[in-house]
Amino acid sequence: MDVTLDKKLQGFQLVAQEKLQAIICSIPGKKELILEPELIKPLEHVCTASWLKLKGIQRIYKHDAKQRLPRAADQVHIYMIRSVLGTFQTLLRQLQPLAVLTPNESPDLALRMFHIICVPSCYAYFHALLEQAGLWGLVQLHHYNWDFIYLDHGVLSLELPNLYECLYLQGNTSALPAVGQSLRLLQMICGQPSMVLTFGGHAAQLLQVMQALGPVPESNNPPDFGAWLIIDRDKDYASSLLTPAIYAGLLLEVFQLRAGEIVIDNANNKIRSQKLQLLQGKLEYTPNVSASNSRPSCIRLNSACDEIYADNRYKHFAQASSFVRGQVKALGLELQKLNDMQLEEMHDYVARKLPKLTELKAKVLRHLNASEVVIQMLGNFRHLQTLEEDILNNVSRKRLLAEIDELLTTDGQRFNTLRLLCLLHLCAGVAPDELQGFARNYCNMFGHRELCVFQQLAQAGLLPALQPERKSSAKLLSNLPLPKFQQTEFQANANRLKLLTSCADAEQSAGADACAHPALKSCPSFVFNGTYIPLAAQLCSILLNANNADQLATKLAMIEGLQVHVGGQSSTAKAYAAQLKTGSTGTETADLFPLRLRNLFVFVVGGANYAEIAACDFVAKLTNSKITVASDALLAGSDLIAAAFNN
Amino acid sequence: MESQFDSADENYWNRSSRAAFSFDDDDDPDDMGKSGTISDQTKPSTKWDNGIFNDDTISEASFDNSAALGTLNPLSIKAILSDEALKLVLQEQTLDDHVLAKGVTPEEELKLLRRQIQSTLYSPNLEATVQKLLHGKLAPLEMFKSLQEKQELLDTLLANGGDAVIGVLLFLKRTLNTAQFNGILEQRPKALEHYLSYLRQSGDVSNYIEMLQRFGRHQEAALRQFQAAMACSELSTRKQQLQRLIDAYASAGVGIIPLYEQIFHAALKLQLLQEKEGLSHRFGEHATPIELLFLCCTQNKNWKDQDMLKLTSPQRFAADQDISPAQYEWTALNERAQAQAYADLECIFERVSTWHPLKARQFHISFDLALAVQRLFELQAPATVLQLFLSKMSNSSEKLALAQRVKCIKAVIDAMVSLKQQQELQQLRDTLPDRSEEQFYCENALKSLQSKRWTTDNIKLKL
Repeated sequence: MDVTLDKKLQGFQLVAQEKLQAIICSIPGKKELILEPELIKPLEHVCTASWLKLKGIQRIYKHDAKQRLPRAADQVHIYMIRSVLGTFQTLLRQLQPLAVLTPNESPDLALRMFHIICVPSCYAYFHALLEQAGLWGLVQLHHYNWDFIYLDHGVLSLELPNLYECLYLQGNTSALPAVGQSLRLLQMICGQPSMVLTFGGHAAQLLQVMQALGPVPESNNPPDFGAWLIIDRDKDYASSLLTPAIYAGLLLEVFQLRAGEIVIDNANNKIRSQKLQLLQGKLEYTPNVSASNSRPSCIRLNSACDEIYADNRYKHFAQASSFVRGQVKALGLELQKLNDMQLEEMHDYVARKLPKLTELKAKVLRHLNASEVVIQMLGNFRHLQTLEEDILNNVSRKRLLAEIDELLTTDGQRFNTLRLLCLLHLCAGVAPDELQGFARNYCNMFGHRELCVFQQLAQAGLLPALQPERKSSAKLLSNLPLPKFQQTEFQANANRLKLLTSCADAEQSAGADACAHPALKSCPSFVFNGTYIPLAAQLCSILLNANNADQLATKLAMIEGLQVHVGGQSSTAKAYAAQLKTGSTGTETADLFPLRLRNLFVFVVGGANYAEIAACDFVAKLTNSKITVASDALLAGSDLIAAAFNN
Repeated sequence: MESQFDSADENYWNRSSRAAFSFDDDDDPDDMGKSGTISDQTKPSTKWDNGIFNDDTISEASFDNSAALGTLNPLSIKAILSDEALKLVLQEQTLDDHVLAKGVTPEEELKLLRRQIQSTLYSPNLEATVQKLLHGKLAPLEMFKSLQEKQELLDTLLANGGDAVIGVLLFLKRTLNTAQFNGILEQRPKALEHYLSYLRQSGDVSNYIEMLQRFGRHQEAALRQFQAAMACSELSTRKQQLQRLIDAYASAGVGIIPLYEQIFHAALKLQLLQEKEGLSHRFGEHATPIELLFLCCTQNKNWKDQDMLKLTSPQRFAADQDISPAQYEWTALNERAQAQAYADLECIFERVSTWHPLKARQFHISFDLALAVQRLFELQAPATVLQLFLSKMSNSSEKLALAQRVKCIKAVIDAMVSLKQQQELQQLRDTLPDRSEEQFYCENALKSLQSKRWTTDNIKLKL
């Protein structure tokens, strides 16, 4: 065990380099790399520009979708794009003139002058399209998957931003094998887990893909993870839709994230760009021009290179921002000391301490700036939180609907207002009639063109599907004032797993407010101000606290879609426990619980969020274990809703 | 996107602790000549250069491949991945593995080739093909001739999912007639989803809509048609297409979703209005109804009695577009306040009570009054306007808090009077500037409060 888990996870970078090198070095000639702009940031996590130069890339360009880069006769152009059909088609269209132009240029087919590297995978039908475009033989295609990018301690991302949209909105599983391959690589590096828990259809399918990909060579190191947990995003929409209360989560709510880094751009942040500019206060929308001149600063969400972020990432926002303010004051005092110093002292100070201090100061100021923008943007945060809490606990639906509608009118945010409605649907169920009224106002606000969004969100299960009116009899029936005791699937599961921590009876049992407060501190629901425990964190703590398979089975009973995979066999938790009792499996019947290896790996299919990550981190600290959370991307709730707008 | 990259910060690209070397060819004149061939306007944006390379400080001599990431990763790849595994990973990355391994005996080679020919020419090897496709390798599909073989191939792939599903579907489309192909899709909803997703991503709108209709998803098809119509750049074609869509939707007999119908009609009305009145200069092609309402408000002269016959008078427009009263009021409030036409605000929030038309017009607001006050304050409305709105609030303590927040002294005084906070009023009076209007107001309030108290006490005494 000389290599720590963290180092191993960082080692994904080495594998990614090795893979990239294999592609680049297989191409002879004077190479130029043309990158799709969105790939640049994640690629920085794989290698440096100088590394690319060393591998024979002479120049690096940004790909311009409008114009093809001219090429000298002896140059080899390597394009690197995401495997998105639209992008690929645009590129093929750009390269189209080659099909007519170059019959005599390259007699040797092995020496192709154009290459397209598709990230994460070159889809099978891309070849067919290449052939149809008449470019077969002129352009060579490649796969490249950088696998997991180590963003922060305990946080991995595949940086595949469109996976949620493809899987959940379009039912297109094209990217699954690539994800499966990355997970398989994780198996090679960190060993096979003794058990895998999957929750949801895509998660189960992912595991199936991994098995179909073939066996993995034995790792020479002992396994690192005791269990894997793979969860579908749609099994826990709530933790994405709720507004987090922790620092990292709120940063992501307000600022654009690109590969583990946020841009602090006040003029154009996520919240501001969601609003209709016209209806903002006069003062707010004028500084746009002046602010865009200065270069926005960035904060890298990596605790290894930013100690302030490391201290605050999973703290409650109020705590974090007051800490940052305190730091600013302390630094100010420190710098004031300089005035009272003797000359010699000053020399020493300037030489030794000052550089560190100024660096720290720059960092602190960036955080200060960021937290101030967050405060400014979130406005009446407490109101939002009580609204969300009421939605979670389904307190007077009618009023909630009215409040959401008022928010739309007076502070309409393209994604966030819709997000509240989705949350309401999840927790209390929105009737088609109610949706109709809201949608009408929404389209007035943001344009008729957004009509499709409602159908898209219905596809993802976030809103009810609108049904055509056919017979009047059916309508009559639904108009009858029958009492409804319906529970949404979310509520049922949340109650079974005890995810809702702020509902009325829980509060009563907790007693007075004084008792509730310490409870808040010892519960992972602090990420949502004590209202909700993210599913991932709860499942982790169940796994880590189970003393035997029976206990696990009783806790996970009645939850549909949850599967336990042990040694190539999958079953429900109950069946697994029963199997152990009868001892029918023969050779290895030892109970896996309590887990001997206390490290867990959590993978969220369709985008994780910082609230989940923070809650898992908290559970890990409580149970003295390590939890690594990985996903295809890190998404704030508004990003999730925004995916429905990509048409 | 471009600007995002331009602003990329060098600090993170090469952390100075990580070794790297400087490139001198970046300012090579020869280099400049080459990039000069790109037309001038794109040159600065397409070239991905200087910024990143500039801060490479360590010289070439110290560059060593493993050291490049040394500080971050002091371990070599061997420590985390065995040679065998790495080989497997790299081999899986390649697209085709037709290359024969070296060093096989002629007999073995013959066997191998025979097997290959067998599987390519005569009987397709389902498992091998599926395996290859799953790994993303090139695999010939042509030998899957019979319908059964094709279906088997598709079903096996569907179980795992992946890009190969679309690949095979395109192959099936090529090699089967439409009836057969559609039959296959009909039985496999998952395959249909994949195919639709493919059509959608490829931007083939007409085919996409046709498939939706064929498989009975008329509502989605109507939505897509609507979207396509709205995307037309020319107003007249947009109008035509919308008209056609509305007619078709009403007569298709597949059921009508009221929301869709309403929005289609509203969109068409909006186009007609834009055509007639030429409204949308300021907001471009795709102005939203609220933006246009805002514009109507700007143009409207007569707020007392709006001309309901004029299409662009705000109330008429709001009625035509089915804009909710709250939205109408909020938009008008913002517009009037921005135009500093505060006198019109009263007209916006006035309603004639329907059951008693002779009664005076009443104040009516469709959203939280506090929000209106807050917004007016943000838009720097004068205190008298704020007071007017604050005076409509019924809850005095809320009113006091809000009035204090928006610094409307008179409303603060009013609220204190209704809360009978005599002491606070006196304190307030002392802080106000001498002989100011507010002080006067405050004194009057105090007097009235005192005198009122006397009268109530008198009544009590009499009783």
